[in-house]
Amino acid sequence: MALIEEISEFLQKGRAKNVKTLVQQALDEGLDPKAILNEGLLAGMMIIGEKFKNNEVFVPEVLVAARAMNTGLEILEPKLVEVGNEPVGRAVIGTVKGDLHDIGKNLVAMMLKGAGMEIYDIGVDAGAEAFIEKAEEVGADVICMSALLTTTMPNMKEVIGELEQRGIRDKYIVMIGGAPVNQNFADQIGADYYTADAATAAETAKKAVIEKKAS
Amino acid sequence: MGKQLVLDAIYNKEVERIPWVPFVGCHAASLINTDCETFFKDSDLIVEGVKKAFELYDPDGLPALFDLQIEAEAMGCGLTYAKENPPAVSSHILEQGKTLADLKVPTEKDGRFPLALDATRRIVEALGDKIAIYGLITGPFTLALHLKGTEIFYDMLDEPEEVEKLMEFCKEVCLNTARMYIEAGCDIIALVDPMTSQISPDNFEEFVTPYVTPVFDYVREMGKASSFFVCGNAKRNIEAMCKTRPDNISIDENIPLDYVVETCRPYGVSVGGNIKLTLTMLFGSRMDNVNDAKNCMQIGGNKGFILAPGCDMPYATPVDNVKAITSTVHGNVTEVFDDIDVMAGVDYELPDYANEKQVIVDCITLDSSSCAACQYTMEAVMTSVQPLGDKVKVIEHKIKEKEGVACMLKLGASNIPTIIVDGEIKYVSILPDNAELTACFAEAAEKKGL
Repeated sequence: MALIEEISEFLQKGRAKNVKTLVQQALDEGLDPKAILNEGLLAGMMIIGEKFKNNEVFVPEVLVAARAMNTGLEILEPKLVEVGNEPVGRAVIGTVKGDLHDIGKNLVAMMLKGAGMEIYDIGVDAGAEAFIEKAEEVGADVICMSALLTTTMPNMKEVIGELEQRGIRDKYIVMIGGAPVNQNFADQIGADYYTADAATAAETAKKAVIEKKAS
Repeated sequence: MGKQLVLDAIYNKEVERIPWVPFVGCHAASLINTDCETFFKDSDLIVEGVKKAFELYDPDGLPALFDLQIEAEAMGCGLTYAKENPPAVSSHILEQGKTLADLKVPTEKDGRFPLALDATRRIVEALGDKIAIYGLITGPFTLALHLKGTEIFYDMLDEPEEVEKLMEFCKEVCLNTARMYIEAGCDIIALVDPMTSQISPDNFEEFVTPYVTPVFDYVREMGKASSFFVCGNAKRNIEAMCKTRPDNISIDENIPLDYVVETCRPYGVSVGGNIKLTLTMLFGSRMDNVNDAKNCMQIGGNKGFILAPGCDMPYATPVDNVKAITSTVHGNVTEVFDDIDVMAGVDYELPDYANEKQVIVDCITLDSSSCAACQYTMEAVMTSVQPLGDKVKVIEHKIKEKEGVACMLKLGASNIPTIIVDGEIKYVSILPDNAELTACFAEAAEKKGL
């Protein structure tokens, strides 16, 4: 177990090389890939997320931790497929039409991945069509939209409108975020959740997916 | 005069009235019915927009131009222009095969600087004797992100010496841009570095402090004032920002104003901010704007505080919302309610003061539970009436409620808090001691023969 804890520790420090070596070592020692994932990589990422939320670490620390997580995942993923590990859920994420901001969106994507979700990032300036096509294609559970501008936030409503039009609104958990967005706005446009930071977004998405799958 | 108020506040001198600097950037385009792309490429329109903002908002200071992409564009970064937003950097020159050695510090001849400086000179000529003109420069860290993209966040860990070289270059750009705006006549150089809110205090001290401090020192040497604008949750970095020696720090709603005031004061750094951009200015009512401004002014006080929005005002900010703040600043809150629509169906019947069997004390407050000055006023009034028993009746009218506003209008009060005794305005925005208040109430009771 100490080895798995060490993976988490190195991940939190953003030490990608160490994480890679230790994940390989853990697999060589015959440790359960699911345990390496959940108690090593994801546990470390959760701690980083919590610290980010509390203003104890900042964007660069989250980015390098996520990079370390990805390095570990590269080695781990083939083994996870072998043992039939299923992701918590699938999420499509993007910044809405007319908006080029991607830092916040990328952070949320990393945190979602850290919460055990499979992520489909459709980038910035993404229209309703792009969100919905990708969601339908991959069988997503969650659609996450980001907007940093007061003038682009109304485009979130268009995505929801299009989902309704196609009669598939209930298939998805719709989440929104970004500096000008708030709970009021989420209620107004009929989004399921608004979250103020990346860590809370990941927590909320995970919880919502588990609840939805249980019902 | 407006300009002097801003300069006094920036240098921590006591002022009679808190200065008001609406950060009208892309919003100026909406004031003259044009779109942002056209606006940001035309010095005539920039001058016209700023003049319009001056007429409408009676400000004490204004930015000449609020465009944090102009340096990056002049060095070859691609911009995407928008109708209702400032342009955004869409390609990072150092990610596209160029190296730092290929880049040149932009001068008066590069990119849109010719038109930006032309507009600034004309704005200074037209308004510079009345109000303080801010020249805005992109801070070195935000500029580095424009040039290099988010890769810089990884480089800070992997190749710190490369980041230091880039920051050193960005500092040179800042110094030169500050020089150009000072020569164009700006009174205040605002170094706008919003991205610094995304890094830790340790990183700030390593990658920002050495590159902004010389800029503030330079502005001081040139005899001008400086401000450090940041947005986002930069709470942890405020102290580090103070140590870079700007004259002023301006923040947005993500950081509590009282915390910033407290942190800056020991360093002799004045503060600006932090009216909420979207919740209040863009989407709020006029009343919300009055309240938000009052609240900021309450916390900021008459020494070392400039009332301002958290950042560049949104394009579509309703003009009436901004005017409501202007009225608040000038102590004419009632102006805000001249429009009958707001007050339709709301009335407040004043008592027949002369024939009441009690002295009626009306206290006009914002809301004693959320406004400190109002709270102390109410506490003082309640304590002072005690010796007089039921000879005096106290009523609090909160202008957060429409009935409160109606009462305020009828009684002719225009400031809060105001204490009115039997229909006569006695104390406006000042709080006499309890003995004086008791004496005042007792006199009124005596008049009525109570």
